[in-house]
Amino acid sequence: MMEVSLLEIIGRIIGAIIIAFIGIVVGLFYKGLDRKLAAKMQARLGPPLRQPFLDFFKLMIKENIVPENAVPWIFNGVPVLTLVSALTILFYLPVGSIPPLLSGYGDVILIIYLLTLPAIGMVIGGFASGSPYANVGAQREMVMMMSYELPLVTTVISIGWKLSQVYPQINVFSLEVINNHPIWGLVGPLGFVGAIFLLLTLAVVTPGELSKIPFDVPEAETELAGGLLVEYSGRNLALFSLADATKTIVMASLTIVLFFPYNISPLFHLSGFLAIALDTLFFLVKLFLVIFIEVTFIRVAVARFKIDQVSFAYWVPISLMGLLGLVLIFLDHII
Amino acid sequence: MNYLKSEEIMELFQNRLGKQAIIDSRIETKIAGIKKNTYQVIWIGVKPNFFKEAVKILVELHYPHFAIISGIDIDKEIELVYHFSIYYGEKGKEISINIFTFLSKDNLNIPTITDLIPGAQTSERETKEMFGVNFEGLPSLPNLFLPYDFPSGVYPLRKDEKGVGVKVSEGDEVKKGE
Amino acid sequence: MSNKTYSIPIGPVHPSLKEPMTFHFEIYGERIEKVHLAPGDNHRGIEFMGRQRNPIQIIYLAERICGICSASHPFAFCQAVENAMGIEVPEKAQYIRAIIAELERIHSHILWAGVAAHELGFDSVLFLSWRAREEVLDLLEYLTGNRINYGIFMIGGVRRDITSEQITRIKKTLDYYKEIYGKLEDIFLNDPTIALRTKKVGILSKEEAIQLSAVGPTARASGLNKDVRQDQPYAAYADLEVQAITPEVYSGKVNGDVYDRIVVRLLEIVQSIQIIEQCLANLPEGEIVAEEKLVKLLNLIKKAQGEGIGRHEAPRGEVIHYVKLNQSELPEVWKARAPTYNNLMPWIPMLIGQQIADIPIVLASIDPCIACMDRVTILDRKSGQKNILTKDDLHKLSVEKTRRMAQ
Repeated sequence: MMEVSLLEIIGRIIGAIIIAFIGIVVGLFYKGLDRKLAAKMQARLGPPLRQPFLDFFKLMIKENIVPENAVPWIFNGVPVLTLVSALTILFYLPVGSIPPLLSGYGDVILIIYLLTLPAIGMVIGGFASGSPYANVGAQREMVMMMSYELPLVTTVISIGWKLSQVYPQINVFSLEVINNHPIWGLVGPLGFVGAIFLLLTLAVVTPGELSKIPFDVPEAETELAGGLLVEYSGRNLALFSLADATKTIVMASLTIVLFFPYNISPLFHLSGFLAIALDTLFFLVKLFLVIFIEVTFIRVAVARFKIDQVSFAYWVPISLMGLLGLVLIFLDHII
Repeated sequence: MNYLKSEEIMELFQNRLGKQAIIDSRIETKIAGIKKNTYQVIWIGVKPNFFKEAVKILVELHYPHFAIISGIDIDKEIELVYHFSIYYGEKGKEISINIFTFLSKDNLNIPTITDLIPGAQTSERETKEMFGVNFEGLPSLPNLFLPYDFPSGVYPLRKDEKGVGVKVSEGDEVKKGE
Repeated sequence: MSNKTYSIPIGPVHPSLKEPMTFHFEIYGERIEKVHLAPGDNHRGIEFMGRQRNPIQIIYLAERICGICSASHPFAFCQAVENAMGIEVPEKAQYIRAIIAELERIHSHILWAGVAAHELGFDSVLFLSWRAREEVLDLLEYLTGNRINYGIFMIGGVRRDITSEQITRIKKTLDYYKEIYGKLEDIFLNDPTIALRTKKVGILSKEEAIQLSAVGPTARASGLNKDVRQDQPYAAYADLEVQAITPEVYSGKVNGDVYDRIVVRLLEIVQSIQIIEQCLANLPEGEIVAEEKLVKLLNLIKKAQGEGIGRHEAPRGEVIHYVKLNQSELPEVWKARAPTYNNLMPWIPMLIGQQIADIPIVLASIDPCIACMDRVTILDRKSGQKNILTKDDLHKLSVEKTRRMAQ
């Protein structure tokens, strides 16, 4: 049995609150950056960087309307569930050289489950709101979820499997461990190519997971007028926007942890507080780059797909790409 | 394709429908541009009971492009003008054909042409709503342009007591040409 | 409604519609089984209003039927009145009319391209193409004084001349569009995601287009060779070689899908540029209006008797106006028909069997102008009672209707 002291529990709780707060603030800030950059790419001015914060505060003071034919407790509970599950993932993510707040034996597996929770929550919320638009949105979200899960899991499992082969004695599904052992150093040329395939797979899964163009079919403004979220307003919508911001951070961090866990401090032979600060800063820069490429750039450059096209894209080419990556890494190992 | 001249089209109508069916007919020639090219517009007035036959002749001649039905309230009658055009597809060959007919307000019935030209449905429904003309054979469908709960027996574009008068809003005097 | 399908209302207010109109879709899964159209949300009673105005005043009313077709409606209306009265329009005025109408076509088609991109969720293209549209709007403002609602048409001619220094400015704009046209074509016709969303979507066969009397780019994209400028050349078009553009020109075959409609519209931008250039090169000298003094013109109208139709190929298709004058200041009847009116029925075969995701782009693909189509309405009144309903009555009716619908 592990010894758990009261102090440690209190420390964890305080840490959780701080991380949740920072996660949300950073998430909203990056959302602002994303909007600003997208606007610049579209040759317009765009909103100020603090716009997501303003939106959030505005939504908080707005009336919270529950439709007549909705199920109130589900309808109101889902935004909380979504936000909480997104925030929980944050506790398992290592930031730069800071180890994660919580870590156990199957972090990655847990994260994959937690990632599906917001989606399931939104599906339930959509069905509970009793609007035809939300209904269609919820159906589409379910189809999407079933489509992108396989490539996502393939990516994570491949890396875990490779780690387990190299270091049989350690807990390979802990993000901290993955963070400390970058995949690129462990594989040969064949595996390197495989890892690139896996990276691409994850890069395509990310906009789907975040419901961003071209995979924003569940919300599809011009078709479903917001789809899943069409009936949500006020506080509930504010919570969804926070959850969305947090999820963006989470997905981008996952890419970083799995593929770019490098820190900058060893380069300068730093240690102690300065190293942590620099690594955190470097992490934020990486986060920005990943979000820029995976979210902002893609959403500016393409049109929205249809649900059958999304489903096909994930099931056939993207899944194949992921599996190919897995096979290459496997071949690399046995050769 | 063998194109008939406007005069020949007119003759065809006269031969097929008979002299007594045609109320009025004329061919207008319009000039355009520096080169003074011309195009022609045909006006044919037929009696209501020959109207469907006239459209059939047109469909046999060349499937016409149907534009719209214009309705005019003239005292005891309602005039309907069907605007068609045929022979499109080649430069300067198109001829506009306007077939008009007068319906007495006691008997506002005219056969539908939607079986020949399905695209006329919108216009027939509009004319039905605005003038109260009954199109025989047109399925009874809800109001297209007027609200669903619009009072029955009121036809906005009629100028008689079944219309809505000239007053547009309260306190608005009937003014001419301000 | 059967148990298997469910119904989705689109409109009167919906992000994919720029103007109010209601559609009721019956959906099976993601597939559209049935469509019910319910226009009429945008009725303003324009033809009714026209009854109380003389033809010169109606020009400005016709201009305001729709903000985008604000050259097309007065063009057709003026032609109708001229035909009814037998006025001959001076040659130069005919050319100026054609130039303004073609400039309008350029701005309308680029506007449509942006809207279509937005419907596909491709907002970047929306912003870029609308930026490109500003140039022609600036030019129109320079030539006529207004970005839209140009106010340049007059019965018997136009109200403003095009001078030689203005011609240089027009040429500058044409050069600008020649320069960026390549980019536009590249974005719309070569982008894989746009192709994915528009090919084999919203198909209208040629037979359907003919039978349902489709007009404009919608008809031409289905392979129907029909363009008033070609078929019955009027004004300056009679001197020019205008060819109706069908998708064969670009791809060699006709599919009648949304992609073909994009092709037709883009190629028409080029065609418009060429037409304007030809008009400028052959611009004749002379008067710009048949009767300059409005009082005299009005007196002529008062004496005139006759009927006439005016047809013009607007960006969205054929516009036709019918006017009957009866020796009075007010016309006996004025009927305006906008292209969307005829393109209403073709929507149904286009939509059936498509997915929900296709609704916005298919609806947008005919470039609907609901304001043009819905023109006639009146204020509500109870039968037998000539007064307009009071606010309380309306409130009562509204409450009753809500109750009725809730049942």
